[in-house]
Amino acid sequence: MTTLDGARVEVVRSYLLSAAEEMRATLIRTSFNPVIYEVHDFGLSLYDAQMRPIAEATGLTSFLGANDYSLRKGVEYVGVENLFPGDVVLLNYPYWNAAHASDATLFAPVFDGDDLIGFLCIRAHWMDLGAKDPGYVLDSTDMHQEGLIFPGTKVVSRGEPVRDIHELLRFNSRMPDAILGDLHAQISAIRTGERRLLEIHAKFGRATVLAAIDRIIADGEARTRSALAALPQGTWTAEDFLDDDGITDEPVRMRVTVTIADGKFLVDFAGSSPAVRGPINMPFGATEAICKVILKSLTSPHEPSNAGTVAPLEVRAEPGTLFHAVYPQPTFTLWTGIVAFELILKALAQGMPERLPASSGGDVPGFMMVGVHPDTGAMFAVSNNDFVGWGGTADHDGTDAATHVSGSTGRGTPIEVMEARTGMFMERVEIRTDSGGAGKFRGGAGVRREIKFVTPGEFLMVIKKTKSRPWALAGGLRPDPNQIVAFPGTDREERISTKRLTVVPGDRVTLLTAGGGGHGDPADREPAAVRRDVAEGYVSAAAAEEVYGVEIDD
Amino acid sequence: MSIRLAVDIGGTFVDAMELDTRTGQVRFRKASTTPAHPAEGVLNAIAALGTDLSEVELFIHGTTLGLNAVLERRGGNTGIITNEGFRDVFLIGRGNVPSDHMYDFRYQRPESLVQRRFTAGVKGRLDYKGAVVDELDPQSVRDAARELVENQGVTSIAICFLHSFLDPTHERETARIIREAYPDVSLSLSTDIVREYREYERTSTTVLEAYIRPIFERYVDELEKGLADQGFAGRFLIMRSGGGSMTGAVAKTSPTHTVLSGPAGGIVGAAYLAGELGRDNMLTFDIGGTSLDACVIEKGTAVAAYEAQLEHYPLLIPTYDIRTIGAGGGSIAWLDRGLLKVGPQSAGAAPGPVCYGRGGTQPTVTDAAVVLGFVDPERFLAGTMGLADEAARDAIREQLAEPLGLSVPDAAAGIFDVLLAKTVGAVRQITVERGHDPRVFSLLAFGGAGPLLAPLLAREMGIGEVLVPFAPSGFSAWGMLSADIVNDFSRTVMTTLDGADLAALEPLFKETEAEAIASLSAQGVPAGDGVLERQFELRYLGQEHSLMVTVGSTLDAEAVRAAFNELHHARYGHTMSNPLQILNLRVRGIGRTSRPELPRIEAGGEATPRTHREAFDFGTREIVPFAVYDRADLRAGHRFAGPALVDEGTSTTVVPSGQNVTVDEHGYLHVTPAEVTK
Repeated sequence: MTTLDGARVEVVRSYLLSAAEEMRATLIRTSFNPVIYEVHDFGLSLYDAQMRPIAEATGLTSFLGANDYSLRKGVEYVGVENLFPGDVVLLNYPYWNAAHASDATLFAPVFDGDDLIGFLCIRAHWMDLGAKDPGYVLDSTDMHQEGLIFPGTKVVSRGEPVRDIHELLRFNSRMPDAILGDLHAQISAIRTGERRLLEIHAKFGRATVLAAIDRIIADGEARTRSALAALPQGTWTAEDFLDDDGITDEPVRMRVTVTIADGKFLVDFAGSSPAVRGPINMPFGATEAICKVILKSLTSPHEPSNAGTVAPLEVRAEPGTLFHAVYPQPTFTLWTGIVAFELILKALAQGMPERLPASSGGDVPGFMMVGVHPDTGAMFAVSNNDFVGWGGTADHDGTDAATHVSGSTGRGTPIEVMEARTGMFMERVEIRTDSGGAGKFRGGAGVRREIKFVTPGEFLMVIKKTKSRPWALAGGLRPDPNQIVAFPGTDREERISTKRLTVVPGDRVTLLTAGGGGHGDPADREPAAVRRDVAEGYVSAAAAEEVYGVEIDD
Repeated sequence: MSIRLAVDIGGTFVDAMELDTRTGQVRFRKASTTPAHPAEGVLNAIAALGTDLSEVELFIHGTTLGLNAVLERRGGNTGIITNEGFRDVFLIGRGNVPSDHMYDFRYQRPESLVQRRFTAGVKGRLDYKGAVVDELDPQSVRDAARELVENQGVTSIAICFLHSFLDPTHERETARIIREAYPDVSLSLSTDIVREYREYERTSTTVLEAYIRPIFERYVDELEKGLADQGFAGRFLIMRSGGGSMTGAVAKTSPTHTVLSGPAGGIVGAAYLAGELGRDNMLTFDIGGTSLDACVIEKGTAVAAYEAQLEHYPLLIPTYDIRTIGAGGGSIAWLDRGLLKVGPQSAGAAPGPVCYGRGGTQPTVTDAAVVLGFVDPERFLAGTMGLADEAARDAIREQLAEPLGLSVPDAAAGIFDVLLAKTVGAVRQITVERGHDPRVFSLLAFGGAGPLLAPLLAREMGIGEVLVPFAPSGFSAWGMLSADIVNDFSRTVMTTLDGADLAALEPLFKETEAEAIASLSAQGVPAGDGVLERQFELRYLGQEHSLMVTVGSTLDAEAVRAAFNELHHARYGHTMSNPLQILNLRVRGIGRTSRPELPRIEAGGEATPRTHREAFDFGTREIVPFAVYDRADLRAGHRFAGPALVDEGTSTTVVPSGQNVTVDEHGYLHVTPAEVTK
């Protein structure tokens, strides 16, 4: 047993983290897919030989947690004895992949000579794997409508590309260049990580690296456990509803009970709806991933993640329910995870209203246009996750118009990019006055986005919380819910939720995204802050008077 | 009129370097920065040198004034005029939270540079091809300007419209209308600064300029006057972030180009040295009190970047691809649950490291250097400042060594180990990302702490050679003396290389070149002395990241593709068969400055150490006697082996065992692994 001092451990940690960041740089710089290079919709992590996560690169938080689950399932399926140096394996079977079929997880074993020393894993959103509809699937009723499935299939075998699989991908995708480009970018990133991990082992010696990893994980666990012990202990339950399952208009019940006690962080989804007919069911790994993000945010938000940082977590959801889909239940529309993310916070906030913000706008208002570009004749599918307000907290206002908390590092697609690559023309993207929930600290504002279509195609709206208001905290007020209006001002005007619309030039859609919930009684807000909000246009003079009781002189 | 003077304002010190072009002699002095009146610090540093300003033919200046104005929110009321319905483009940004806050659901944006009430939309809109969808409505411009200027007290306005990079007409017309009504309001047009797509990034660049400009104008005027009062009648140049320099007059109209000019001097100097010393690949390694800046010099040219960040704001200006990590001499070492961390907090200049005896209580990298025996407490800063070495030792013992169960030297060495590991990561990224093996580089060490760490870093990474210039802490100022006058102009093209009629791009190049020539001649570069470089910014269709290819005066699609493929392969390890897309064409106008010659020193026989001192040797990880050489005593041709220290008052070069030093004819130290030297 090698013992290491606290300096050596940090030296090895630096090398491991820098390996992950080099992989990330390789992926971003070689990818083909705007969802990867513009939105940064990926997750990338390094594991030891026991598949314990040891380092991760910056990416979508929920993707990172999902990698751990997928790697275990993928290796279990392939059999560790069937993995060889130079192999790269593709997995997107949703129940193992902890995500929907269009998130492609690539993993690779790393061998030092004959010895397995670790694994690398990169998950990224691919544009099209031949699902029933191009772009995004909103109404599948079983997995086989959701795209070509790989249960853990070698795309590179002993260093050689498996041509048959690459061709299979090419012939099963509506956007073969894009996905093959992403495949190669992910493989390049894996190769970078492989070289670096081997160099690290060569440099420090295996015993030192293994001892450092043990210490890094033990440190992560100790840190989490002590932070967890310092949180209020107890059990809290919350409930919310998704708009619909994509097939009918019936709201779908979500219920969660969170317990912090005895060194455990237990998240139990008992009481939630059974699995539904439409594609809003969650693979269990995806459910686990969102719980990991929340535990981490509460206990070690600024520390690098590893196996130790989520050790106290236990997640329960019965197979065959909304939060634990089983074959062949459809899972494409991952939005349940987004709304559930805030549901878990809603439960926790009852026990710690001073530590947590009120609800954000409550959901990710995602939209996409699919069509054929008039300049190139090629198909396009370009999406954007619109901005919402964040919830007020015990000591400051919520952030205005930001990417949803569940994937906060994701970047909005520039208007100029959207207009150049799709048939959408933006008529307005502006912060909405009075959209943040009032409070001593108000919720951040949502936005108003007015889209006019200038070419024919399909417009996809993905959102699951438009029927109910985001929640507030400590006497704050709830903001108006998200509102998506198709064809405003025409006789076809309709408030929609998740929907695929056929559009022609001249059609319009307006998104009114929700602000965040307020925190604390609006009567306690500093009048100066109210006046500033009025001057800045975040709050109207009328609301200042009615809600905050602050008179505004013109 | 034979003196050239370079003055570089840093966070703590103003560095002044004087070059006598007749004798080639260089002199260097420091003065404290004077944040409230930055021009004063510049004049103080010149006074310290005792330079007769009437003898100065060229004064070249590097300043972080613009950067500080933003960081300290010292700008005046800055407004934005954009399209109706889009006034919040700047406030919303791309919506994302910085990646170091990815798990923070309570994240708050820093206070914005622009209040929302200072933003206004006007009627008028282009589409993605640059075609007018709605004509610009002059009345709405007048209304918006009246609201911002008269009601909100805005004194500087950024004008940026959607797709304006394709056609500046609306922005120019808007500016004309506002200028008519409010001639005193400072206006910044996006299309004057950057002609590239992505509205938030372009708006942000324009806002930064609008924010900085009034302050910068005042400063340049004040400094020019201060210099003139003392008889200066030479040429006044200011360093650009992306290399080269510009006249004060140009700097006043495009101050964003100066904001990251701090480290640029060192990189310009390094690129010049790479050529003079015949080193193709060089890595700059500039460590000061709070940060480390590293940049790659490839084939004698520093790697450029076309997007930088200032705080969290994107800035689309040509700059150097500098990797900064928060690790410098002042970085604080601390224990976090028994693990040794170095930085990101820095003791800065106040209270400073424990050994400065100015009230610092937390051990820093500098304290570790003292404890390890690398810094002579008696001779620190040429003896002008005594060092409290015992206090440094006590702080490391009590706060680090005892809790870690290590000896004091081992704990101090651990601080170096952790710092070096972080540094290796940063340096590896910039070399490996570009498809290079770091071992092919020469490492150029400068900044006060560069020579302290560079040989150790080289050892850690297997780098074959470290170069240490004379007066490493003044190297950035020296580098400025070799800066050309440079300006960059670009146009977004957005066409495929194969589909494009390259001949049709000729007029666009010509138009851009005309701008470059006009700008050079306005800056006093005689017609005919200017050099123009044409470049394409290209990418494979479908990719986001682009690469720059320098093209000849005749445009040949095949040659461009071949050059791009070669570059792409070098950088990413593969090529693709996708069509190439031209994003931007760029023209760089260069007015060559005569370069200072490298100094020459006398040759001599054997190097003799001044003394010996016990210090920690990273080669053997033991305390051993080090030979201590005075830099001033070294002669060309001297060779000696580590463990050795080369002391020159403002910095110390640490050579562990297993590395040798050779002194070249210019007095530069070459530190190489012993097995290579033998």
